Amino acid sequence: MSEAIIKLENLTKKFGNFTAVNNINLEVCRGEIIGLVGPNGAGKTTTIKMIAKILRPNSGRILIRTNHGDLEDLQKVSATVTQMGFLIDIPEFYKMTAYQLLKYFAKLQNYPKNKINERIDWLLAFFKLTEWKHENVKNFSKGMKQKVGLIQAIIHDPEIIILDEPQTGLDPLARVDIRNGIKALQSQGKTIFVASHMLYEISEICDKIAMINRGAIIGFDTVENLASALKTSEVIFEVLESITPHELDPLLSRLTEKLNPYLDKDLDPSVSKIPIKYYPEEKELKIFYDGNNKSKGEILKILIKEFESDFTVVSYTQEKTSQLERVYTQMVKDNEPEPNIQDVKIKEKKKKFRLRKGQLKGEIKK
Amino acid sequence: MRINQELLIGLKPIYNTITFEIKKQRKKFFAFLVLIIMVSIAIAVITGLTPSQAQPDTLVDFFYTALYFIIFLEDLAACLFFSAIICSEFDKKTGFIVFPKLNKYKLIVGKYLGNLILVLILITSYYIIIGLTGLFYYGGKTSIRIFHSYIVALLFISALSSFVTFFSSFLKSVNGTIVITFVLLLFGFMIIDSLVGLIFAEKFEPLYSLAFLGNLIVNILADPFPNPRYIKVDFEPGNPDSGSIVQWLTPSIGGELQ
Repeated sequence: MSEAIIKLENLTKKFGNFTAVNNINLEVCRGEIIGLVGPNGAGKTTTIKMIAKILRPNSGRILIRTNHGDLEDLQKVSATVTQMGFLIDIPEFYKMTAYQLLKYFAKLQNYPKNKINERIDWLLAFFKLTEWKHENVKNFSKGMKQKVGLIQAIIHDPEIIILDEPQTGLDPLARVDIRNGIKALQSQGKTIFVASHMLYEISEICDKIAMINRGAIIGFDTVENLASALKTSEVIFEVLESITPHELDPLLSRLTEKLNPYLDKDLDPSVSKIPIKYYPEEKELKIFYDGNNKSKGEILKILIKEFESDFTVVSYTQEKTSQLERVYTQMVKDNEPEPNIQDVKIKEKKKKFRLRKGQLKGEIKK
Repeated sequence: MRINQELLIGLKPIYNTITFEIKKQRKKFFAFLVLIIMVSIAIAVITGLTPSQAQPDTLVDFFYTALYFIIFLEDLAACLFFSAIICSEFDKKTGFIVFPKLNKYKLIVGKYLGNLILVLILITSYYIIIGLTGLFYYGGKTSIRIFHSYIVALLFISALSSFVTFFSSFLKSVNGTIVITFVLLLFGFMIIDSLVGLIFAEKFEPLYSLAFLGNLIVNILADPFPNPRYIKVDFEPGNPDSGSIVQWLTPSIGGELQ
C-alpha cells in the first residue's frame, strides 16, 4: 500500500456558533484520486480552504509529507504549499492575458524561469487554448476560464492537486476536456483531491470517495465498497431482442420468482417499487440485487440458462453513478439529525395557533 | 549569508507582484499620463496667451500658480490607483487564485509598491513638464524650493496612498472606495477643518487633515512664507465683533507645531 501524503486529523472549523467542518479524519495516499462529495454547505470548500491555508482550523491539524519524507503539520511548513496546486471555487482572474497571468503564477510558485514559457505553451496546447494565449481572460468563456484555472493549479507541476468543483457550470464538451485533463494528471502519478456535486464525474475519475454532510465525513471508500456496505446494488443487462408488452408481465413474474433469493428485499420505494425493471427503448433489464458479488454471478447464470428462449443477454454493466447516487442519498438520510422533540412540539403549537387564527379570521369575515 | 538568501527568497514574490501590478495598471497609467501632459500643455498655452503684465514675475511664481492643480491630480491618482489594492481581491474573488500561492501580506505590499511606483512616476512627470515649461518661458536658474515642493508632493502622495489603502481594507467594492475616498479628500477634510477652525480657532492646527497638509506643496514656494500660517475671516467683513473663523493656510516647513 502506498504511503499517506495528506492526513487530516480531527479537523474542525467553526464560524461563530456554526460548525462548518466537524472533526474530520481523512488520509490521502500517493497517486490516488479522492473525491469529496456533499451537498451545498456540507463543508467541502471549507476543508479545501484549510488545506490551502486560506482558513485556519479551530482545532485539529493537516499533515503533509514533506521532501524529507515525514508527515509534518502544514501550518509549520510554509514551503510545502508549493508542492500543492489549488483550484478553489469558480476561478476569477485579473484582466490580463492568459500568458501574463500564467507567467506570474509560475513565478510565484518558483518554477524555473527558463522553463516557464515552455511549460505555459505545453499546458495551453494540452487544454486547446494555444490561440487564446495572448487574449484577455475577461473575454474567455466559463469553460475556458475553468481550464485556465486548472492550468494555474498545475503550472508548477505540483505533486498534489486540489480541485474544488472543477466542472461546475461547464458544457458537456468542456467537462470531458477537464475530466481528460484530470485523468492525464493521474497517469502522471499525481495525487488529486476533487470536491464536487457531480456524482457522474466523481465516479468516473475517483479511486475513493469521501462523503461529507453537515461538516462530517459519513463514508470514505471506493464506490463499490460504499455500495456493498449498504447491501444493495443494481445491475443492467442488455438484451438482443425487444420484449413485447404482452410478453413483459409474465416474463417479469417468472424472473422475480427465479431470481427471488438474490433480489434486494429492502428496496427503497423512492428508488424503485419493483426489483426488476425493463426499459424497452434501451432494451435493458435493470435488476436490484442484494449487493453480494456471488448473487450477481448467479443472476447472470440464471438469465443465460433458464431464459435462453425469452431473450439473449449481450452485455451487463453496473452503473457507478446511479449506485453512488443511492449510496449518497441513503447516507445523507441516515445522518440527518433526529428532530428535537421540544422543537417539534413548539412547531405543532405554532401550526395550531396559525390554523386557529385563520379560522377566526374566516369567522369574522362571515 | 544564509539569512540574506532566505530574505531574497522571501522578497521575490513581492518583486514579482510589483512587476505584475505595474503591467496590470499600465493602461490606467498611460491614461493618467496623457491627462497630466494635457494639463501641463494647457498651463503652458494659458501662460503664453496671458498678457505679460498679468504673467507671474519669476520662475518660482510660475510654479506657485502651476502647482495648484497637482493637489487635485494627486487626490485623483491616489483614489484610482490604490482603491482596488485590498477590496478587489475579495470583491472579484481573485484572492482564491492568488492566496494559496502567496502570503496575503506580501501580495498587498507588492500591489501597494507597484502602484506607488506608478504614481511617483506620474508626479515626477508633471514636475518635469512644468519645469521645462517654466524654463522655456523664464529661463535662468531653478530654485531649490521647487525641489523641496517636489519632495513634499512625493510625501503627500505616499500619505494619500496609505489613506486610500486603509479604506480599501474594509470597504467592499472598488467603486465605493473610489467615490468615498475622493469625496472625503475633496470635501470631507475641508468641512471638518472649517468646523475645527470655528471651534478651536488658532489653538488647534489641523495636522490630521490631508487637505491641509497638501497645501504645503504650493506654499513652500511662497516668499515670504505665510506668518502667521492662518487667517481670521470675520463673519461680517470689517467687523471683528461679529465673530470669526480661522482658516489654516499651510503647515510649517519643518512640520513643527505653532
